[in-house]
Amino acid sequence: MNDFGIALSGLRAAQTALDIVGNNVANAATEGYHRQRVELSALDSVPIGNVEIGAGVSVSGVTRLIDGLLEAEIRRQQSAHEQTSQELSILTSVESSLGEFTDTDGLNATLDAFFKALQNLAAHPQERVWQNEAISTAQTLAGEFRRLGTLMMGLEEQLLLEAKNTAASINSLVTQIAELNNKIQSIEISGQHANNLRDQRDSLIMSLSKLADTETVERPYGVVDVSIGRLPVVTGSMTMSLEAGLQSDGSLSVYVEGDEVATINVQAGRMGGLLALKNELLAGFESDLDALAKAIVSQVNQYHVQGLGQDGSFQQLIGWAMNGTDLSTTATPVTDGSFFLRLTNTTTGLVERHAIDVNVSAATPDTLDTIAAKIDAIDGVSASVVSSQLQITADLGYTFDFLPAVLSEPTTMNLTAGSPPTVAVSGLYNDSDNQTFTFRAVGGGSVGNGLLRLDVTDADGNIVTAVNIGAGYAAGDTLELDNGIKITLSLGQVNDGDSFEIEAFATADTSGLLAAAGMNVFFSGSGALDMEVCSEIANSPGRIATSLGRDLTDNMAALNMAGVQDEAVESLDGMTPSQYFHRIVADLGMEVSLKQSRQDNIEAMIQNLEQHRSEISAVNVNDEAALLLIYEKMFQAVAKYMSSIQTTMTTMMDLI
Amino acid sequence: MSSSLTSIYDNIAYALQLHGKAITKLQEQASSGNRVNRASDSPSDAYRIIGLNSQDRSLASYLGRVTELMDSMEMSSSLLSDMASDLADARTVVTQIVGGIYDAEGQKQVANRLNNTLEQLVSLANTKEGNQYLFGGTDTDAAPYRVVREGGKITQVIYEGSHEARSINVAPGLEVETFHVGDDIFRSDDRGDPVFLGETGAKAGTGTSNVRGDVWLTVDHDGTNYRLSIDDGATFVTVPAGGQTNQAVTDSRTGRVLYVDTTGINSTGVEMVRVPGTYDIFGTLISLRDALINERGVPRSELLDFIDRGAAAIEEVRNLVVQTNTSTGSKIAFLNTLKNHLEDTQFNVTDETTRLQQADVAQIAIDLSRREILYQMSLSVAGKLLSTSLLDFVQ
Repeated sequence: MNDFGIALSGLRAAQTALDIVGNNVANAATEGYHRQRVELSALDSVPIGNVEIGAGVSVSGVTRLIDGLLEAEIRRQQSAHEQTSQELSILTSVESSLGEFTDTDGLNATLDAFFKALQNLAAHPQERVWQNEAISTAQTLAGEFRRLGTLMMGLEEQLLLEAKNTAASINSLVTQIAELNNKIQSIEISGQHANNLRDQRDSLIMSLSKLADTETVERPYGVVDVSIGRLPVVTGSMTMSLEAGLQSDGSLSVYVEGDEVATINVQAGRMGGLLALKNELLAGFESDLDALAKAIVSQVNQYHVQGLGQDGSFQQLIGWAMNGTDLSTTATPVTDGSFFLRLTNTTTGLVERHAIDVNVSAATPDTLDTIAAKIDAIDGVSASVVSSQLQITADLGYTFDFLPAVLSEPTTMNLTAGSPPTVAVSGLYNDSDNQTFTFRAVGGGSVGNGLLRLDVTDADGNIVTAVNIGAGYAAGDTLELDNGIKITLSLGQVNDGDSFEIEAFATADTSGLLAAAGMNVFFSGSGALDMEVCSEIANSPGRIATSLGRDLTDNMAALNMAGVQDEAVESLDGMTPSQYFHRIVADLGMEVSLKQSRQDNIEAMIQNLEQHRSEISAVNVNDEAALLLIYEKMFQAVAKYMSSIQTTMTTMMDLI
Repeated sequence: MSSSLTSIYDNIAYALQLHGKAITKLQEQASSGNRVNRASDSPSDAYRIIGLNSQDRSLASYLGRVTELMDSMEMSSSLLSDMASDLADARTVVTQIVGGIYDAEGQKQVANRLNNTLEQLVSLANTKEGNQYLFGGTDTDAAPYRVVREGGKITQVIYEGSHEARSINVAPGLEVETFHVGDDIFRSDDRGDPVFLGETGAKAGTGTSNVRGDVWLTVDHDGTNYRLSIDDGATFVTVPAGGQTNQAVTDSRTGRVLYVDTTGINSTGVEMVRVPGTYDIFGTLISLRDALINERGVPRSELLDFIDRGAAAIEEVRNLVVQTNTSTGSKIAFLNTLKNHLEDTQFNVTDETTRLQQADVAQIAIDLSRREILYQMSLSVAGKLLSTSLLDFVQ
């Protein structure tokens, strides 16, 4: 008789089923738990007489309800979500730090205020209050750039630290996964099911996928191998540790611990987000910000170096420290050309202009030392390089500057008559190219008499204009050319063919060396992090170069500097500084907006996927309650059956 | 749809987060009044807004400078009007002298009056507005006119300002000259041939003289030749026999030269030589004042002739001032038009910025209400789902 066997099998099966149900219900709210289902199967029947009678029920297994493909997709989306969230978090904080669209003045307003101050200075070049305003707004602008530069530097350091921490977290998870692999394998190799351990391991893999993009491969006996960026980090119970750090080019990378060359291409997860931020997103923003700061520094300086302020010419100028004396490595490019030093004898009033050639493309290019030597060779000044800084000092009784203003007399004179006229030169040259103008007399005679004129030609021999200095011209009257140059001839005699030359300068530095060496500059610095107003300017507002003319009353230099606001700059993709910054803000905003949209989309997708997973793997309390009732009734029925068998056995015994 | 505890919780959390984020955003818009509070709210609109903000500040800056420039122009215009008025008064009294209204003592009174007018004009020409002199060109830091006095009276007014005008930006791509160059507006620059008013027989030479205004030509005879001087006898040039058609006579004090045709000289004397188109307002008054005092003892008929022509000279320089005032008036009118245009542009900029940035409060209220209802509904549904289960019915 197999009655008790059948009953016992039923009781065991019901008990086991109730345990499974109980476990499901107990873990209804457990994160990562996949509900389990008991698999019951009828035992093989036993022939009794002419009939086959079943032998009861057995628990053939406990199935963990999981969809592997769905789980993999959820991991992939979680990975993408974490990456997007990481990027969004940092980019949002950068966007907030810009301060645009808030009550506080961001860089846009500060930039506008600086150029407005320069415009006001151009209207009042000799007034201290406007000079101070220009300095103050410039310092605010430089301070704002430094603040943003420092913020970016801080963010980079923070990203590196977070990357290292994330790598440590990855290594910890990887170790735990490997340990679970080992345990699961040892259980399942003996034919058991390690469902709960599998849940734990899957939970760890899910956590790992949030840190980096993972791929898994199922192996026999429940072992799962895990790869990150196609590098196996878990192979059975063996692991490979990762590390994060900076490469020689400054980029952030993830590599096998101890081997910086073996980098891994992590493309998702928090680590993927950190890498993208450091190497692309923030690097791009920082580069744009530096380009803007550098452009403002160089554009303003190129006009400032040639001008003079109320304080007048210099006794001494000391440039900034350069990276060695090689002119090919300057932050501001130096090209072949010349700069012109104007030397004034303060005793006699004599003003001379000296050209210093700069040649950086020759086989033996100029260095800062050779330039200093060329300047030093000029009587009245001395120059040297000390600690990579160019220093120019005027001798006693002299001052110097780099004003492009015309000299008060022609540079060369060829007047052959017995009592030639005195030629005085003045005015502000307003053309765009440096030129040498030759004034040649046509006809001879006395100034103010007869047919006498001057033909004016440029360096190429092209006739620019002709001016009458014969009858109709009163000696001493001013003759003005269209290019702003003015000449005055006194009474005197001129022979036919007599001539004189006037050098006119649109720029006193065609090489860029003065700005590169920091001579008479307004701003110092090569980027956002180190942009500053030069201390000489900050301490002496009268040093602000507002004028380009000899008498230092004009505002040409100030106007030029103010005009930088509307100048298209090549290094800023042909945009003005303001337009470039607007683009930076808009691009950042677009990036944040796209990340936000992407995050929202991924969250919706994850929500859908998790809903689907819940249908398969989550515990429905109502379903479990129904199963509980079924198995409870089953247990009661089987117990009743056993009781009936007992009664029949007793009855049989009584009969005997 | 699964009704597992986990899925119910996930749905609740997702819905609350979704509606919560939307409500937070609406609250931010409501409290700030702006639809765009950061670039990411609407990148394309943000780019436009930030550009408009810059443009607005730029326009405000231009408007400030235009207003300041108009103020200084109006001040200049007022001063020029005063000067023109003073010169008109001076011309009137000078004309009255020619008409014989004043006797010798009266002439002296008129001379004093002209002197006072001269002092007044110098003072007006040296006027500052704010911290800048109005008639010194780019050199606004120092008084443009310096006087030379003898015995307390002005004998010379020298322009020491700049000969360049300062330009400033008043609109994108538009520069306007600001302060006048006094030497350009108070001095005529339309030189004509010298006019000899005396009876010595001297005439203008063929060369272009560079003396200005009125010059006193002294013709005397040393017993052999005539001699000429234009510096009150400090230096003389000898006329050769028969004379010359173009003899240069130099003023040793200024270096300026008067070309004289000496071929017709037939008597000695002192005569006034006028050079029309070269007068400045100060020199003219100095000459007239000195002529009225008549320390040279010029004959009355010559004197009256000179004074008569002096009235014309005053009119000439007055016209200079009036013309400058007219052109200043035109410039003020232009600036006023420019100012109106800038203000209109600024209004449009502000309007567009508001349109782009400002939030629709009514819409926000509607959206907020809708979101709040959805939020509450999410909570209500969750409560219902969680409150009832099979367990409630199992006995």
